Amino acid sequence: MNTLRLNTLQRYRPAKFKKVGSALLLLLAVFTFSLVAPSADAHDNKKIPRLANGKPDFSGIWQTTSAADYDLEPHSNRKDAPPGPGIVEGGEIPYLPKALVQRKKNFENRATDDPALKGYTLGVPRAVYYPEPFQIFQRARDLTVVPQFGHSVRTIHTNNTEHPEDPNDWWLGDSRAKWEGDTLVVDAKHFNDKTWLDRSGNFHSDALQVVERWKFLDPNTIEYKATLTDEQVFSKPWNISVILHRHREKNFQLIEDYRYTLDYDQYYPPKPDQK
Amino acid sequence: MKNNVSHLKLKLNIKNLVILAIATAPLMAVSADDAKAKEAKPQQQPVAAQQADGPNYRNEASFPKIASGKWTGPKLADGQPDISGHWSNTIANHNNFTDPQGGIPNDPAPRRTPLGKREDRAPSRVSDPADGQVPFQPWALEEVKKFQVGFHNPTEPKYIEPLARCAPCGVPKSFYWHGYEIAQYPGYVLFVFNNGTRIIHLDGKPHLPEKVKLWNADSRGHWEGNTLVVDVRNHNGKALFGRSGEFISENGTIQEKYIFSSDRKRFNYEAVFTDPTVYTRPFTVTIPARQWTYEDKPNGWHFEARLAKHAGKEPIVEREERICAENNGGFGLGARK
Repeated sequence: MNTLRLNTLQRYRPAKFKKVGSALLLLLAVFTFSLVAPSADAHDNKKIPRLANGKPDFSGIWQTTSAADYDLEPHSNRKDAPPGPGIVEGGEIPYLPKALVQRKKNFENRATDDPALKGYTLGVPRAVYYPEPFQIFQRARDLTVVPQFGHSVRTIHTNNTEHPEDPNDWWLGDSRAKWEGDTLVVDAKHFNDKTWLDRSGNFHSDALQVVERWKFLDPNTIEYKATLTDEQVFSKPWNISVILHRHREKNFQLIEDYRYTLDYDQYYPPKPDQK
Repeated sequence: MKNNVSHLKLKLNIKNLVILAIATAPLMAVSADDAKAKEAKPQQQPVAAQQADGPNYRNEASFPKIASGKWTGPKLADGQPDISGHWSNTIANHNNFTDPQGGIPNDPAPRRTPLGKREDRAPSRVSDPADGQVPFQPWALEEVKKFQVGFHNPTEPKYIEPLARCAPCGVPKSFYWHGYEIAQYPGYVLFVFNNGTRIIHLDGKPHLPEKVKLWNADSRGHWEGNTLVVDVRNHNGKALFGRSGEFISENGTIQEKYIFSSDRKRFNYEAVFTDPTVYTRPFTVTIPARQWTYEDKPNGWHFEARLAKHAGKEPIVEREERICAENNGGFGLGARK
């Protein structure tokens, strides 16, 4: 579509400018090019899905291909994780000394203590880069994020509402967003301290604040960036970045994954041969 | 998980579990108490007191029929009838499937108010057959009766109502377990329940492979006028229908109709349950619901919502996060770590 329109313009132009002197033509060509180049970008932007109100529409089923959930920090392979370059800007998470002790303890006990292994809600931002799909449902007033894992629902409000005055410590925090151009900027806070950031034991306290930036790179790719602040655990804010890919398989859908029920699944429902 | 858990231990767990954990403290203390009271001591719900508390939409003894037909209310841009909002059932919770206001079957605890006559209470959720009973095969009826005894003093894991372990409510219990939000998007109707989420696909894609079994099943729907028609398959049958122990198996299918009144105030859920391995014939379940709006007071059971903080004047209702956390693992063990 875009290419076609550009071709039409280019074919059309020489005919129109035949009578014009060559110097002027050159000048015009430069001028036109400077116009056409940005408008090509604009065309790309127009291709991203948008809501009726013109805002980018992130509706769809998304998933990262990164190894972020195994360990946010750079790591070699190990028995329970593939190797990965990490997704932390600068490589290392700036832990306070006391918190670093806890993080090491978490790592040692990760095979039993990772809340995700118990089927707990993943939290923010982990639900974004956990290696299972999540679905975004979007309206003008909000985005509803439903991860396949746990099916717990996160709402990101985009209707100029503010954090509540009497907040709780929520599993998924309280998310208020605004649009900066085509970037969705989310301020999420009021978390509990029961979730981890990955399965290697990186963690946070209930003072966690996450500022996220969601942006289309193209209609099927989202660049997700987040800044994490937690003065109880980190010495300074730090940044992560992952790419999310749209699931385009035919008839792809979420399949609920209530992992925490597996221990007692076998007892229900009654069966004819039960005594 | 061992089957031979000691009697005492189970009893203790049950005590802890009956009060379901709600990850967020409800907004209003009154609402929280209300919800807890309903959960912990449902037999003490005085119907009369509830009625005195406002319009009788929480404990209706009867409800209007809504005819399938034309939708004359507002529509969304994609043509769906606009029924987005906050909804809750109008008769009772999951204590008793076939006598919704009759209390938990075999409850040893004394009632605060007399039960009264059956015809003064809401009808069975089984609207067909006429006797209001699920047409169970003999083996299944026997299991239900055993559950109704075992529930009060569980000696085996299967007598614990799975919801007490934070399992999703599934179909149909989600429609009489707390209020819920319905949101609509092109191609989807989304149910956000107090405990679990259901995505209704409107785009006609085929169901998941039969081997995939889910607590909330797999739903394909379409609109016929004022009625959302949903074909439900891939049910894992594990959620049970309530504290009275009725159930469907993983072989069952459900044909649902959500019939909305065009004023958006109510809908009736009418669904045909079919399962040749559990029932002797298909039967129909009817569950009434009403919409809750900003004009209603938040309520820790039916309307777990708050008004958003913002600079504008219009009231914006927000649903609070509902995550059943206390027992996010088998027998409460998972959450103790």
